[in-house]
Amino acid sequence: MLTLKELLITYNHKYNSIMSTYLSNISETLISGKGDELKKLIESAVNDGANPGEILNQGLLPGMDAVGQKWKDGDMFMPEVLRSAKAMSNSMDYLRPMLKEGDMGNAGTMVIGTVAGDLHDIGKDLAAMMFEGAGYKVINLGIDQPGESFVNAVKEHQPNILGMSALLTTTMPRMGEVINSLKEAGIRDQVTVIIGGAPVTEEYAGEIGADLYAPNAGSAVEITNEFLQQAQ
Amino acid sequence: MKISQTINQSTRFRVLSEDQIEQIYFAALEVLERTGAMFYHEEAIELFRNSHAVVRENHVRVPACMVEEALNFYPRKITLKGRNGKRSLHIQKDTVTFGTGSDLPFTYDRETGERRRTTYKDVNNAAKLVDALSHYDFFMSHGIVSDAPNPQTYDRHQFMAMLEQCTKPMVLTSVDGEGLEDLWKMGCLIQGGEEEFRLNPLFVAYIEPISPLKNDRTAVEKLLFAADKKLPAMYTPCPSSGATAPATIAGMLVQSLAETLMAVVLCHLKKPGTPLIMGGVTTLLDMKMSTYSYGAPELSLASAANTDISKWLNLLMFSTGGCTDSKILDEQAASEQMMNLFYSYLSGANLVHDVGYIDHGTNASLESLVLNQEMMGMVKQFGKGINTDDEHLALDLIEEVGPGGEYVTTDHTFDHWKEWYLPKLQDRSDYETWQKGGSKTMLDRVNERTQELLDTHTPEPLDEKLEKELREVVAAADKRHS
Repeated sequence: MLTLKELLITYNHKYNSIMSTYLSNISETLISGKGDELKKLIESAVNDGANPGEILNQGLLPGMDAVGQKWKDGDMFMPEVLRSAKAMSNSMDYLRPMLKEGDMGNAGTMVIGTVAGDLHDIGKDLAAMMFEGAGYKVINLGIDQPGESFVNAVKEHQPNILGMSALLTTTMPRMGEVINSLKEAGIRDQVTVIIGGAPVTEEYAGEIGADLYAPNAGSAVEITNEFLQQAQ
Repeated sequence: MKISQTINQSTRFRVLSEDQIEQIYFAALEVLERTGAMFYHEEAIELFRNSHAVVRENHVRVPACMVEEALNFYPRKITLKGRNGKRSLHIQKDTVTFGTGSDLPFTYDRETGERRRTTYKDVNNAAKLVDALSHYDFFMSHGIVSDAPNPQTYDRHQFMAMLEQCTKPMVLTSVDGEGLEDLWKMGCLIQGGEEEFRLNPLFVAYIEPISPLKNDRTAVEKLLFAADKKLPAMYTPCPSSGATAPATIAGMLVQSLAETLMAVVLCHLKKPGTPLIMGGVTTLLDMKMSTYSYGAPELSLASAANTDISKWLNLLMFSTGGCTDSKILDEQAASEQMMNLFYSYLSGANLVHDVGYIDHGTNASLESLVLNQEMMGMVKQFGKGINTDDEHLALDLIEEVGPGGEYVTTDHTFDHWKEWYLPKLQDRSDYETWQKGGSKTMLDRVNERTQELLDTHTPEPLDEKLEKELREVVAAADKRHS
């Protein structure tokens, strides 16, 4: 006869080995970008009693880290990365209501948009997808957004990140104007502002008072996460 | 259903019209009857004398009927098998293959940067790179083994240096008929005997006449040996327009073709059905520097035209590309190499050689071989043409995505982007990423890649017993010539 303690240890062992199999499967399925399979996997993990925070922090996020690294190393390409990012963001939609305070780490909420006068959105959308892929909740305002809609969105959604992009040298100054509007509304300190777009440079970001600059959609998440980690 | 559709499965390119080809061909026949050619070889003279050719001492003129008869006996397909056992090189109409050039006397030392004579080890290294780089289909020695014990046997040593590090099919130069015979014996040892070599030749023998219209003893020796053994061979005139050929491209093509057709007739007289490949490095003599140019646009134009002629004649074509006059690997090198690489590919020449040549065929550069790998990839991508079936027209997708949408995350993009050319060395990053990565130039990246390949690539080794037998052939040659 096993004692209750022994039974519990055996059970724990079993539970742990099932869970670690789940977590590594979740990582791998996410890396290979199989969204449907990932959804089923996460659902059954939750049904078997897995902790949603563990699924996120030990399954999904390590998976996305691997995707980011593979992209950097030239082993994965944009359509593959975005497929994984999409799978990640769908998984987040499912998990988010079950997550507890602290489960999310830095990955919070982001408001993103293209400034007034500019109808270009692919770069900004790619960045948005990458942030979603990293576990952020992203509110994408779209293109040709006036300053007040950025201000209103920051008030309404309380994001920790505000992203803006401009592809034209003629619309680039609008980003500085948005930052001024945030200051006037007294909410500039609530958000970290990151900007990007072909004519934008790190120097320019400094000039207009943005916190961060990303030279391309792929590096935006990494730059933001590093900044937030240091700020903590 | 659609009817009467013409679909270009690949890109199309042609320089000469059929009428122009006929003009050049008939002019070449006229040269053979009127001007003739010189042969400095007794057996060749005897063969012509016993035919309907007209022979005066070393001077041979040939009636058109002999040429037209002989032209019926040449193969339209030759398949080479490397020592790796793969029948990987199909020389046939409209199939393009790329390879290096041979026998470059000088090399930039990778450590000292000094220009010095090319050695066995240099040929070894070139062999290793060609073995590793996917767009090279065949290997010529790149450099010349100048540290062989005797210049009269360098070709056997060179073949060994090539075989040690490269498993792909080859094109070989040789000192003379005896040298070619030794190379052939070595080839037979590798392929498992004379009969197997005939079905699966390992290499093509490179032979060239002397323009204008001269055939020296060693060239003819090799040609007759190849004819006798059914050994694939190419007879490659190297006329320089304005010096050893007319200054007009058409005139150079006429003369070059006459030189080729003379060999066509001679091989036929020796033994009908020689696997003979037409050739030509048709370029100009630079009138400022008196150099034979490997980077002139006229080289590309004349070579592509020559390939048009070869197709019309049903002969296989050995052509030229990926080469430059520039002394070092620089902007001139890249632009000239790209141009002649591009047009040699589009022309549909069967064996494009001299890829990686710099310094108009005198200086060897391993980095140049690596740079050309990237350029060959680009060129081949262009040749793929454009698929216009329903899947590729993507009408449903355009509707699905709609105005203002995006394509990056669609399954269609996921399925098709891999049809694109994926650059390995070209940099397409944004400025900041490039700067953070060390602001590397193409040449920096080429250098790194070259070193990486030299450090890491390990070709399939030669069988020990076989290697011993091959070295015996080389040693016997050295002994004969000591």
